[in-house]
Amino acid sequence: MSKTIVPIGPQHPLLKEPVAFQITVEGEQVIDSAMRMGYVHRGIERLCEERTYVQDIHLLERVCGICSHVHATTYCRAVEALIGVEVPLRGVYLRALLCELERIHSHLLWLGVLARNIGFDTIFMYAWRDREIVLDIMEDLSGGRVSHAANVIGGVRVDLTEARREEILGELTFLDGQVARLLNVVEQEQSLRARTRDIGLLTLEQVRQYCVVGPVARASGLDVDFRRDSLQVPYDRLTFEVPVHDAGDVWARTLVRSQETVESLRLCRQILEDLPEGPTSARVPRRVKAGQAIARAEAPRGEVFYYVRSDGSDSPARVKVRTPTLTSLITLPVQLQEITMADVSVVLSGVDLCIACADR
Amino acid sequence: MVILFRLLVFPGFLFLFFSAMLFDWVDRRVIARFQERVGPPWYQPFADFVKLLAKEDVLSTGAHATAASLLPVAALVAVLTAALYVPVGGIAVASFEGDLILVLFLLSVPAISYFLVGWISVGVYSVIGGNRSLLQYFSYEVPFLMALAAPAALSGTWSIARIVAYQGQTSWGLLMQPLGFILAMIGLVGKLKRDPLDIPKAKSEVIAGPLTEFSGRKLALWHLAMEMQTVVGIFLLVNLFVGDSRFFGWLPQLPVFGLKALALLVLLSMAAVLYARLRIDQLADLGWKILAPLALLQFVATLWIIGL
Repeated sequence: MSKTIVPIGPQHPLLKEPVAFQITVEGEQVIDSAMRMGYVHRGIERLCEERTYVQDIHLLERVCGICSHVHATTYCRAVEALIGVEVPLRGVYLRALLCELERIHSHLLWLGVLARNIGFDTIFMYAWRDREIVLDIMEDLSGGRVSHAANVIGGVRVDLTEARREEILGELTFLDGQVARLLNVVEQEQSLRARTRDIGLLTLEQVRQYCVVGPVARASGLDVDFRRDSLQVPYDRLTFEVPVHDAGDVWARTLVRSQETVESLRLCRQILEDLPEGPTSARVPRRVKAGQAIARAEAPRGEVFYYVRSDGSDSPARVKVRTPTLTSLITLPVQLQEITMADVSVVLSGVDLCIACADR
Repeated sequence: MVILFRLLVFPGFLFLFFSAMLFDWVDRRVIARFQERVGPPWYQPFADFVKLLAKEDVLSTGAHATAASLLPVAALVAVLTAALYVPVGGIAVASFEGDLILVLFLLSVPAISYFLVGWISVGVYSVIGGNRSLLQYFSYEVPFLMALAAPAALSGTWSIARIVAYQGQTSWGLLMQPLGFILAMIGLVGKLKRDPLDIPKAKSEVIAGPLTEFSGRKLALWHLAMEMQTVVGIFLLVNLFVGDSRFFGWLPQLPVFGLKALALLVLLSMAAVLYARLRIDQLADLGWKILAPLALLQFVATLWIIGL
């Protein structure tokens, strides 16, 4: 049989963001793959150096359209470390609340995209319908459904009244039920399992070798979660499980993300119930001393890393972002081996690519 | 005059056209309701059809122009001809001993045209989609044909009208051959390339399969042929498996027939809602390792019963 190159992207119904793959197939069998990225490179790291520390919060929130809050939070934490300011506990809790809501929203969105790509539109519709509840809560909290602009250096600018706190707890209870029903379908449905099992295999050694993080690593048996491992406030005061599976295929990733959604719901509930009193942000000195700092956080797709260097001026001298998607992207040539053309969509959906994050 | 009316209006072309539009709308609406969406208004299939007719007809360079124009017409003509022999509520344009075989043959023509239109296209998605459609054809067609041959064997005739009459004397084919009905429904899903067996036109894999590079009138004709094939396929199964109308003897035959057809359509819609798309090798496994042996079993059992 002759070899054919099937272009997937930069525009393709499978992809939600522009990235290009060239899949070489022999009949239905994939024999080679190549990738090209950079279609959504906006030069954000360079732009950060031209803006002030405060303006950079809003710029970095636009790195990603799904995990926007965690980017802004991590950046703020790096700058706070540079200044040496302590964020009040209520501010830390509210930041974590938005992070966890964002994780639920991201995982439900991902589940919908996976289901859509294997022709299971019903789960897609249900997952995205339930995701609306999370978006509504976030909109009520901060005024924004995707970009929240909730962070300031030294804390958050949003706050919750007692009545609103109770309301959100009620909405979370409703969401609990919806998510439980949805995940029950996901775990029981045979046709979904038939499409995702043994596809996109990554062994534990490969995961270590490529420094993969997040749900993809946890689905291959690597027990990492920065929230738990770092003993970071407030996660050191909350109880939650880190789901880990060993199979290393897309099915295991589905299970990991599904169970993480449930854990995030648990975390949201605990955060709201233990929400400490007090101010949400601290007063911050006007100058940032020369120096450098890093900050890390567990984004929905894995650990995100920020490095900020200051030369004492209004703007940072360097901001470096490492996003979790990058580590998943470089495993794709491995995952795209020994599969058929039909599985390409499953593999590409399974790693939960965020091209905007990776390109910046 | 009567024959012209039957040919053009009922149960011929016009009736089939409006049925196709109605079935398309019901299908989309039912799926939408299952998925907690609203779904399109009743005139949406008409609007889609008219819009496509009015659009520019582009053909990619290198594609065979004559074949590209002829293939949708061939598919449509085959479906329309098949429709002549499928009774609607007991009324058929034409009928002879052995018309079931002719209908089954004619209903294969769209599948072949669909493959060929992928073959003559230059786009890589079209070629892959065309190859897939042929593989799919070989997977579903054998169990489908055997499942449809079983009622014919049971009633001892290859005429659809007589099979219906035989059910009138005994009972619904669905009750006598439940396994055959299920196999025929699965085969029909494969034949119509509906979810979850829309493998040749899987959006996330091959865009729109063989029809990726088509637009305007040709695409409109393809869609019409496919929608009419849905109607004819469902009508055929209604005749073969729930043909007897004794249970509803006090009602006029035609509305009862329509309701049965809509019930089968809703079954198809539910299959589309409930399952993820299969991979082509999974379909081949399903077709040859499960459906074909079951169809054979069913057929042998039927022959054994006749022999008694």
